[in-house]
Amino acid sequence: MSAESDTEPGDVATPSGDAASENGPPIPDPESVDDEGYVIGSGRSGIVRRIDHDDFDPVGTLVLIAIYMVIVGAMWIFMYFVEFLGGDLTVIG
Amino acid sequence: MEIHRYEKIWLAGALLLIVGFIATVSYGAVGAGIAMVDDEGGQVDPASLDDHPRFGEPGTYQSGENEYDVYVVARQFLFEPGTSEPIRVPAHSTVTFHVTSPDVIHGFEVVGTNANTMAIPGQVATITVEFGEPTEYGLLCHEYCGSAHHAMEGKIEVVPQSEWNESMVVN
Repeated sequence: MSAESDTEPGDVATPSGDAASENGPPIPDPESVDDEGYVIGSGRSGIVRRIDHDDFDPVGTLVLIAIYMVIVGAMWIFMYFVEFLGGDLTVIG
Repeated sequence: MEIHRYEKIWLAGALLLIVGFIATVSYGAVGAGIAMVDDEGGQVDPASLDDHPRFGEPGTYQSGENEYDVYVVARQFLFEPGTSEPIRVPAHSTVTFHVTSPDVIHGFEVVGTNANTMAIPGQVATITVEFGEPTEYGLLCHEYCGSAHHAMEGKIEVVPQSEWNESMVVN
């Protein structure tokens, strides 16, 4: 995937001097990054693509948390209203 | 601080869960009338329970129309009454258990129900419950009280109204 496809032109990390000085570590040439894997410990270290705060879109995490909350809510309702309130000999005084 | 929109969603969800938990417990206390065991039972001298007007002769006392008080002494390793003879209460009645202990901390649990309390020397625990159809409940000590704790058990008999008679109450 091209780095330019999802970001504003200004956001694309380039090995230019300006970007490097603003963003800390030196940025490798995007051309040198390939998808064929690499030896463990020799991974890419530079910023390849910069995205805005809200462009990060972990929709899978959102769905997992939604499922988790539905389970917790359903278990609470079952435990309290069915198992506890529906139980025998509830203390009333 | 910038908060991601997804984080806002699950923060709101977590808050909603907490509010929901508190709301259901509040409903239980106010709407469904669930009560907590408190110290309203008062205190007794654990060394002279035999001299107590009720704990000296524990058992079922009638306190009103269809209302009964059951005084139970939990001691190592039996319920009195409960173990050697069952606690008897009439069906469809409101019963208040008064439980205390002369020796160590015991538990008083009507097995498989929500009715249970600690039996603390010197303190009277009172729990009020409503019994329905005639049946039989087990009674267990659920606080470790010594070497025979596991054998400390008893029975509650909910007797049909037609079979209920004066010999089953102390007073």
